[in-house]
Amino acid sequence: MKAVTLRTFQTVHTWAGLIAGFALFVAFYAGALTVFHDAIATWQNPPWRSAPDAHVPLSALVDRFVTLHPKARDDFGVVLPSDGAHAAYVFWLSDQGSRYASYSQLAAPRDESDPGNLADFVYALHDSLGWPTVGLYIMGIASVLYGLALVSGVLIHLPHLVSDLFAMRVGRNLKRLWQDAHNAIGVVSLPFHIIFAVTGALFCLFTPTLAALNWTAFDGKLYGQFAQAVATAPTLPASGVQAIMQTPQALIARARQAALASDVTTFDPDYMHFVNYGDRNAVVQVRGKSLHTLATYGDVALAGADGRVLSTYVGSKHSINTGSNWAMYGLHFGTYGGTALRWLYLGLGLAGAFLFYSGNVLWIESRRKRRHLDQPRRTRVMARVTIGVCIGTCLGISGAFAAVWLSAYVDVAVGIAQRVAFYGLLCAALAYAFTRPIAQAAVHLLGATAALTALVACADLARNAATFAADFSQPAYTVLGVDLTGLALAWIFARLAIATMRRARHGDPNSVWSAHVSI
Amino acid sequence: MIGRCLAGILLGFPLAAVLLRLMLLALGDSGGAWLIPALMLFFPLWTALMIGAYAFGSAVRAWIVLGSANALAFLAQWVTQHGR
Repeated sequence: MKAVTLRTFQTVHTWAGLIAGFALFVAFYAGALTVFHDAIATWQNPPWRSAPDAHVPLSALVDRFVTLHPKARDDFGVVLPSDGAHAAYVFWLSDQGSRYASYSQLAAPRDESDPGNLADFVYALHDSLGWPTVGLYIMGIASVLYGLALVSGVLIHLPHLVSDLFAMRVGRNLKRLWQDAHNAIGVVSLPFHIIFAVTGALFCLFTPTLAALNWTAFDGKLYGQFAQAVATAPTLPASGVQAIMQTPQALIARARQAALASDVTTFDPDYMHFVNYGDRNAVVQVRGKSLHTLATYGDVALAGADGRVLSTYVGSKHSINTGSNWAMYGLHFGTYGGTALRWLYLGLGLAGAFLFYSGNVLWIESRRKRRHLDQPRRTRVMARVTIGVCIGTCLGISGAFAAVWLSAYVDVAVGIAQRVAFYGLLCAALAYAFTRPIAQAAVHLLGATAALTALVACADLARNAATFAADFSQPAYTVLGVDLTGLALAWIFARLAIATMRRARHGDPNSVWSAHVSI
Repeated sequence: MIGRCLAGILLGFPLAAVLLRLMLLALGDSGGAWLIPALMLFFPLWTALMIGAYAFGSAVRAWIVLGSANALAFLAQWVTQHGR
């Protein structure tokens, strides 16, 4: 490759990385935690603390729902709990918008699926910075830039890719060490990064992309084709003749039987969709999760009146379209494997966050004035924004955990408390990074994140100690796992704080990271 | 740099779109059975075209080559659909 082309790719890599880096840091740190979405939900509401409606049978829920909301029987869904310790709830569209209710809430339904759910908030930070629609598009554009940074990064390092892959030059040249770590993580986890870039762009920019493709190259036929490609249940018009419906439990049993005959080893239903409930032509779709397959989810459609299987899109019975649709989801969220794979995804997510942080550090180091104590304004600003946003995000997420923990004792709306904690701490971290000397701000913010994360984990361990001692069930194991992971993260933040402090005191004084630079 | 960047973004997008459409048309039945895999290919293809645009010596060349490729691909699509 010509030297001038290589330099162009270097510029593309730097700018794509810098523009998208902050959004991607949030996406990767929150995304790494999102891999354990259900564990975080259990941590927030363990069954021994609160489990309203958890033991209400599904048939009682559906019967009471259609009695209280007869107009909604044409189209509604039931979200099934991930374990027996939590409640199922109904979801439907009323004249006023989306409505959600578990058994005891049916008379006065909610307009949010689960207000105050911490795991959902962390997920919202991951996919849209917690900012609906606009944030989603920002993340989509960041994913496209991330793809550009990945390809240009590989092209730049292609000549030395193999020889430098395992090189980790630990020595006096710290920039070389950061560069080696940045390259090694980028190259070793490249397949996963390609997956995240492609699926992330598609998930976030799906609506505008489909509209643009429909207009540019598909003559307005794309929407119809797409609906056909992902349809997994037959559309039957209502007959107008009433019929007694099979119970949800019976339908789930039939669906499982059909699914297990499609070369999958498990089928755990997580959602049911009812169309024309109570009519002779009612269709009930059961969606379930199967292990040991890339297309993790699948659907079985049944006749509501007699439980006949109308269609099966599970395992080997997936079409190319439905199979690749679910495979894309499985690859992004790591649902195709068990616990070991989820830990791998957590590690990859944290490594990805490091990739963006180290990219910014390298940009700053490349522009360092080696013979002057004073550093250029642009590198000082970049250093402040980097520590403010990156460490502020970690601090803010730990703050959201703390707010949720405290909300059990203080009468506040937990949904608002976790938002105030996250955005408040993020803004405070940015303000601190801009008003204190850079090295001091970095050490203090890392120390605060370590302390807060450890405090929440210890407080929760103390709160649940009696339960752990009395009954060590699966949910107890999950809660303990979340707390121990919190302690491990706190230890990592503390080590980073110590390393940053050492660097500030004993490292090269001509740098933004030095304690000798007081601005 | 900006010229090549814009060529990749603005001309790469419709080119990636029409190339996928041509691929689907070649599969028969408007390629409906392969629609989702084709959509999954869209962003990698667009990214490749955006990166490819930087390899041109000048912005003018990038616009001319990508513009001609668009014209040819859209013509091919028109012929495929109306020639049946």
